[in-house]
Amino acid sequence: MEQKSEWDPQIVGFLCKWCSYAGADLAGTSRKKYPPNVRVIKVPCSGRVDPLFVLKGLRMGFDGVLVSGCHPGDCHYQTGNYRARRKMAITKKFLEYMGVEPERIQASWVSASEGDKFAATVADVTDNLKKTGPNRLFEDRRENNGTEASK
Amino acid sequence: MEQKLRSEARALLEQGKVDYIFGYEPGSLKFTTTPLLTRDKNDVDRLVVNPFIVNNLAKFLTELKGRVGIVVKGCDSRSLVSLIQDNKVARGNVVILGVPCEGLIDLSKVEKLVGRERDELDDILREGDKVFVTVDGKKREFPIADVAFDKCLACELPTPKEYDILLGAPTSPIGQKDAGYTAIDNLKGKIPQERWEFWKKEFSRCIRCYACRNVCPACFCQRCFVEETEPKWVEPTANWQDNLLFQVVRNIHVAGRCSDCGECERACPVKIPLRALTREMYDIVGELFDFKTGMDKNEPSLMTHYEKEEAEGLIR
Ligand code: SF4
Ligand code: SF4
Ligand code: FES
Repeated sequence: MEQKSEWDPQIVGFLCKWCSYAGADLAGTSRKKYPPNVRVIKVPCSGRVDPLFVLKGLRMGFDGVLVSGCHPGDCHYQTGNYRARRKMAITKKFLEYMGVEPERIQASWVSASEGDKFAATVADVTDNLKKTGPNRLFEDRRENNGTEASK
Repeated sequence: MEQKLRSEARALLEQGKVDYIFGYEPGSLKFTTTPLLTRDKNDVDRLVVNPFIVNNLAKFLTELKGRVGIVVKGCDSRSLVSLIQDNKVARGNVVILGVPCEGLIDLSKVEKLVGRERDELDDILREGDKVFVTVDGKKREFPIADVAFDKCLACELPTPKEYDILLGAPTSPIGQKDAGYTAIDNLKGKIPQERWEFWKKEFSRCIRCYACRNVCPACFCQRCFVEETEPKWVEPTANWQDNLLFQVVRNIHVAGRCSDCGECERACPVKIPLRALTREMYDIVGELFDFKTGMDKNEPSLMTHYEKEEAEGLIR
């Protein structure tokens, strides 16, 4: 039997209900095998994903955040994914500047018929995160002790 | 410039072209100014233009009803234009009194250079690109580049591009862009963990007073996510994690509307180098989308616009 390592990456995935969520569903119904590391949250459109969600995910200790929507041109609301792309691009760049490993912030285009792509994406993201290591960004032994100033 | 401002302001009020004049008057402390908002034409003689007009008045426009004659420096004009782009301010409701700016004086730099507190100084005078500081009866001379705010050294638009009345001859930037970049360059040379540690330390000093948000002309939400309770995004008490999350998300939310005016950094009581964040975001937006905040009121704002193909390398 394969030895299970102690730590396994946890990913939170924000999936657009019109495409990527259906794509994930398809991956499931067609019995594709992919790592069970992603916790899925259904959103009405990738444009709904506020970068706040990404930060909050990391703050809660998720090792990676995946945002997935319809391919450019295919958004159910015409332009939501273009906006998501702008938001995710700056979020990724900005967090990288602050010292967050870029692997932790992932965005993809997955259509409702791309069960394969969804499975492959999750596998790949999981793999990369294993190399990156656990998210200790917001960890602190002094947690809840307030700020330095207040001490 | 001051005389011209006063006569223009008086005329605007007398002719009923504006309901208010919004500018600066001397503050209660030495070398400070404070915003002056008035409907009374007799108040216009209190208006001043000097190297201490630090406040970005564009901030208040979203809260004012009626037509306003507003005094703006180059940087402020960009915040104002950005608000116009976002339909938060109607162009027809403002009469823009543009100040061609020669750079504002950062009192903490002066204090450092002369080794004295600001209230021990007798006088600070700017003449062209020189600044004369009188202390103990002795006059000392400094180039403006040594005592100007960092943001003024990085300024790209000292003279407003969008204005109704320009109060003087256009000026050109005083500094080499890089002078306002030191903090960022230092950081960029470090490995990611060191950078994160740096910010962790900085934000452990944050007392979450929200001065940075409250002073920011781009932060105009009626309700900020930090005050939401359902769901509660951040703890209301200060802890470095939520302090950092707040500031990162704030910076992302104002991306493309932040003109790097530096007001947040100036307002921060614990002196967190916030411009090292705003400047970086400004550059990211410029690099990725070729966008510069508040340069052209007819340009769509960053988040209302997109190109069919852009930033593709970042998305699977
Ligand atoms: S102004 Fe400074 S101390 Fe106050 S909330 Fe902003 S970063 Fe924190
Ligand atoms: S974030 Fe800071 S620099 Fe940017 S517009 Fe707001 S106050 Fe000015
Ligand atoms: S509906 Fe799928 S991204 Fe907008």
